[in-house]
Amino acid sequence: MDHLSSSQKKGKEEFSFLPLVHDIIKCMDKDSQDVHQVLNELKNKFQETRKLISSMPGIGVSPEQQQQQLQNLREQVRTKNELLQKYKSLCMFEIPKE
Amino acid sequence: MAAATGGGGERSSTRERLLAALEDLELLARELIEILAISRNQKLPQAGEESQILELLIQRDGEFQELMKLAVDQGKIHHEMQLLEKVVEKRDNDIQQLQKQLKEAEHILATAVYQAKEKLKSIEKARKGAVSSEEIIKYAHRISASNAVCAPLTWVPGDPRRPYPTDLEMRSGLLGQMNNPSTNGVNGHLPGDALAAGRLPDVLAPQYPWQSSDMSMNMLPPNHSNDFMLEPPGHNKENEDDVEVMSTDSSSSSTLRKHFQSGWEWVKWNEFPPVDQLFWGLRCLREQGYNPFTEELDHLKGYTGSHQLD
Repeated sequence: MDHLSSSQKKGKEEFSFLPLVHDIIKCMDKDSQDVHQVLNELKNKFQETRKLISSMPGIGVSPEQQQQQLQNLREQVRTKNELLQKYKSLCMFEIPKE
Repeated sequence: MAAATGGGGERSSTRERLLAALEDLELLARELIEILAISRNQKLPQAGEESQILELLIQRDGEFQELMKLAVDQGKIHHEMQLLEKVVEKRDNDIQQLQKQLKEAEHILATAVYQAKEKLKSIEKARKGAVSSEEIIKYAHRISASNAVCAPLTWVPGDPRRPYPTDLEMRSGLLGQMNNPSTNGVNGHLPGDALAAGRLPDVLAPQYPWQSSDMSMNMLPPNHSNDFMLEPPGHNKENEDDVEVMSTDSSSSSTLRKHFQSGWEWVKWNEFPPVDQLFWGLRCLREQGYNPFTEELDHLKGYTGSHQLD
């Protein structure tokens, strides 16, 4: 349970900027020279996150639109499956009625 | 600013919302750090503004993380959609293949049905005008009786005789000789004949049983046989010329016809002598009700060919 919550927390904080901001504030309080390094880290993180967002697949649409598309696709697959079944079960040698 | 973009449009894409949130975060973080740096340098407490910005930053950071979570989920859905698209593509191919096969089968069946219908039609037609096989065999016997199809025992390659009457033989017949009676009954001068390339001397000309005078007499209507058969045989130069002209120039056939007509006694179609005095072929036509002066050819309908040669 603890493990799960910590991993969830970690996963959730993966994209959080607060820890770095907190570090910067701490360094400023201490007048530490590390502040520049941490500032760079924050800057890099912003850049990387921006890049990551650009490369993430499937977020070019809103979730509602995506759900709609997904439903459409499922419907298509269902229809096509039905059509195939219909074709396969066709009796090609039906004897015509006189 | 944060509020304006935070609630930002349900319709805008997740990517746009993420980038906007990220920009907000960057601005807020920068502002916070600048304010803190200034306040540290100037030693001025500006706790109110700092905490306000910090709160905003925390709020936007939370929103951003939610959005990122959503983006990851959308990525998973996107993956699922890609799989579905592949399935759809595969199904499309299957359906197209199947449709193609069905189309081919339909075409083949349609052709077969059409041919079968045609066959049924002809069967129906044949059934309506049914002729018994006995009748057909009877006809075949008659045809083979008067048109020999077996080569004579003496026939060898190079022999000009044929199982059908050749041009030469036709001209050797009574009609050919009518205006050109020669001593041996064969006309040796036949321009235009296929056999004439190596023109046959009279000696080599084939002799057939039907060229004998007895046979000729039997084949003629008794009423008319005397009109020209008893003409004295002899070479008639003028008549030979006519035959020459007939073979080479059809336009002068009217002069010939005049000549032919002079040897025949002409009777009207409806005033023919009794059928037993006619050629067999003519007799058949008469009995069938054939009329050469109408275009109708119905005289064969219902004709069973029951009459017999004497």
